[in-house]
Amino acid sequence: MYDYIVIGAGVIGSAIARELARYEAKTLVLEKENDVANVQSLANSAIIHSGHNPTPNSLKAILAVKGNKLYDEMEKELDIPLLRTGAYVIAHNEAEEKVLEELTETTRMNGVSEYALIDYETAKISEPNLASSITKVLSLPTTKVTYPWEVAFACMENAVMNGVEFRKNCEVTDIVTTDSGFLVKVNKRDIIKTKYIINAAGVCTDDIAKMVEREVPYKIQGRIGEYYVLDKRVKGFANHVLYPLPTELGKGVLITPQYHGEILLGPNSKTVDNKHHPSTSFEGLKYVKENAALLADNIPFNQIIRSFAGIRSSADVEDFYIKESKEVKGFYHLGAIESPGLTAMFAIAKYLLDDIIKISQKYSLKTDFNPYRKKPLKFNTLSLEDKKQLIAKDPLYANLICKCEKITEREILNAMHGVLGSDTIKGIKKRTRAGAGLCQGGYCEEKVMKLIAREFNKSPLEISYDLNETKLFVEETKVKKNV
Amino acid sequence: MYEIIVIGGGASGLAAAISAKKANKKVLLIEREHSLGGILNQCIHNGFGLEVFKEEYTGPEYAYKYIEEFNDLNIDYLTDTTAMNLVKRDNIYTVSVSSVKNGLLDYECEAIIISSGCYERTRGQIIMPGDRPNGVITAGSAQRYLNINGYLVGKRVFILGSGDIGLIMARRMHLEGAEVLGVAEIMPYSNGLTRNIVQCLNDFEIPLYLSHTVTNVISDEFKRLKSIVIQAVDENFNPIEGTQKAFDVDTLLLSIGLIPDITLLDDLSVEVDPKTKSAKINQAYETSVEGLFICGNSLQVHDLVDNVSKESERAGRCAAMYLDKVIKTRKKINIVPKKNILFVTPQFIDFGWEFTDLIVSFRANKKIEKALLKISQNEKVIFQKRLFFVVPAEMETVSFPYKDLDKESDLVIELEEL
Repeated sequence: MYDYIVIGAGVIGSAIARELARYEAKTLVLEKENDVANVQSLANSAIIHSGHNPTPNSLKAILAVKGNKLYDEMEKELDIPLLRTGAYVIAHNEAEEKVLEELTETTRMNGVSEYALIDYETAKISEPNLASSITKVLSLPTTKVTYPWEVAFACMENAVMNGVEFRKNCEVTDIVTTDSGFLVKVNKRDIIKTKYIINAAGVCTDDIAKMVEREVPYKIQGRIGEYYVLDKRVKGFANHVLYPLPTELGKGVLITPQYHGEILLGPNSKTVDNKHHPSTSFEGLKYVKENAALLADNIPFNQIIRSFAGIRSSADVEDFYIKESKEVKGFYHLGAIESPGLTAMFAIAKYLLDDIIKISQKYSLKTDFNPYRKKPLKFNTLSLEDKKQLIAKDPLYANLICKCEKITEREILNAMHGVLGSDTIKGIKKRTRAGAGLCQGGYCEEKVMKLIAREFNKSPLEISYDLNETKLFVEETKVKKNV
Repeated sequence: MYEIIVIGGGASGLAAAISAKKANKKVLLIEREHSLGGILNQCIHNGFGLEVFKEEYTGPEYAYKYIEEFNDLNIDYLTDTTAMNLVKRDNIYTVSVSSVKNGLLDYECEAIIISSGCYERTRGQIIMPGDRPNGVITAGSAQRYLNINGYLVGKRVFILGSGDIGLIMARRMHLEGAEVLGVAEIMPYSNGLTRNIVQCLNDFEIPLYLSHTVTNVISDEFKRLKSIVIQAVDENFNPIEGTQKAFDVDTLLLSIGLIPDITLLDDLSVEVDPKTKSAKINQAYETSVEGLFICGNSLQVHDLVDNVSKESERAGRCAAMYLDKVIKTRKKINIVPKKNILFVTPQFIDFGWEFTDLIVSFRANKKIEKALLKISQNEKVIFQKRLFFVVPAEMETVSFPYKDLDKESDLVIELEEL
């Protein structure tokens, strides 16, 4: 019998798992995908907003501002990637300047610690490609950029190090309420007992809630955001997160410098029927290009290396829904966590445990909780001298597997055999960035495939790109087949 | 200390190293794979060598001809070794190379030849809307999996792009028992060699859809490719409504172009031609950085390996001449591509290099049945030649004497339609 089952290992589920790991509670995290952070947490803008635009006094506003500050703390404990870019929200004319002034007032009311309205010339000094049509800028120095998948990973890794259990490829298919808690059915087969359930299933939170509640207090629709990625060679083209004025659809098409040097253009915002199928469209990508061009001049579109669509939750309630179920005690909703969910994630986890669950009344703190986690060594960030020394100790650092991102065999083996190891091409890409560069895996995928086969003693026929069901190959050639 | 270091041991690097060695230079070749031969090792089809050897070989056979000569000349080389870093200080280059066997070592030399080949354009570099399932893969990667590793990526295949690798793979996968449903090409003409259209598509009744592109990619619930949609495009490459055709496939091979791999040059301030996406060169294959030479597919993407070998052999000789200090002055003019020219190499002429003939390679930017190639300076024609059936898919190379050029004004290259 578990004390807590957390459903979903995106950024929210992972942050909650890591908070729960502080307590003497038996916790299990169930993830239907083949890895941590594989849906919403995987494909988004990666921005830690300052908290400038949610409605004042909403949970979104309070938790975003608090969450932004918590990132600085978590950077020290969890060694997570953080790029302190700051942000500019821009206006093009007098009418827009009025809206920008209102936004500035919202920013003040939300308690954002630093902000300033500045003119175009001042903004242009640190952002030389800022579109010449811009007249006024709201500067938000506390805006940051992270690498969301690694944030989720760091939380879950630290949680597991502190005793939390994590199971991937475990889809919750039914939940039965009992006197002492819940019976959770996984993959239509296994039954797991737990006292409490924390529903952090992202776009599926309403589907999970339906298993225990007659009336779910919110409905989640999918909203697609399409993006372009510019190669890291354009690093420096934009130094801040550049926002247009927000609309009711969201924050609009942005230009976002990424942690590893690429620049992201997007997203648009398109509500879709199928929330499991993010897909790009001609119109969507065209819209992204046109709208990005309103923020900066001479965008190097010829440096595009990838386009993708990410799925986001779009709820029919305005605010985050972080509450215990009204119908069933011990079932907790993390519903309607849309933007700024990534920003607020650490604050959400603390709010849930301290204010909603009031966990300290139920469980005592572990005496041996270790809050620290070190990020894996990135060989390419070392000086030439340090590289030589490291190679002298461990020659596998001398075997370059991904030539675009300069990832070595040892880094890939570390990713395969770490606390949250992986045996898929995509899992290795997420952990090391092998395949994330210019050639998009054209060169290294084969080498990673061979390393997976060797390390896990698998036939290449058993190796997947991502999901277990879908293998890289359909058959081996040149073998005698039984007729 | 070596005099010349060659980066890459494929068709280009082998030929460059051989000619530099024959000019009595101390040469070291660096190859990141386990064996020499480069991409030729996975090109098990025939059709190589007709120009150089007047005989038809498979890729590995063609490579072997050069590897034999390379070994006979006792040229030093390192395999399983990656060039990580390249810097130039006081006219000396330092290449940091990395291998499991020897760790990270620095080698110094006076001249460098980059022959690092190219990489395939991916889905990300074109607009292809839809899902992102497993099963959308570049043709060269699928070729490597099939011919080197022995695994088939799918059984029902469509191919986007009529580049030669795509055409070769259409036939290859068909012969391996996969069903190849068609090839779509966004241009109104094929991008592959005519012989490959005939021998790889027509002979197997695989349809070629010209002026078509893939406009949707559909995944199944397990993120495996389920189907694709192709559509005809107008002259501006916009899809035409109502022309959609769907194909149920598990694999979409991409043969949508190759890009020279010059990532090793990132730390040197080399002038880059946005058209070739590689370093600009003078008539001696020397980049804007003196003593840094580049050739083969890392300079410009070729249609035939024979031309890679011939070009790289010249580049190797030039690198050797550079060491002999024959270049005294550095006086440059540009060669400017004008009407109907997609790109030209060399991009400039350096009068320090005194050759009798100038060799110019170019691609047309459209199909022209009868064309007049004109190379002129100050509106005076220096060289002209009639060309028939000029297509972007086939690189043209011409050679002509150039000793009386004006050293102050640029050359212009253009193609007139007749």
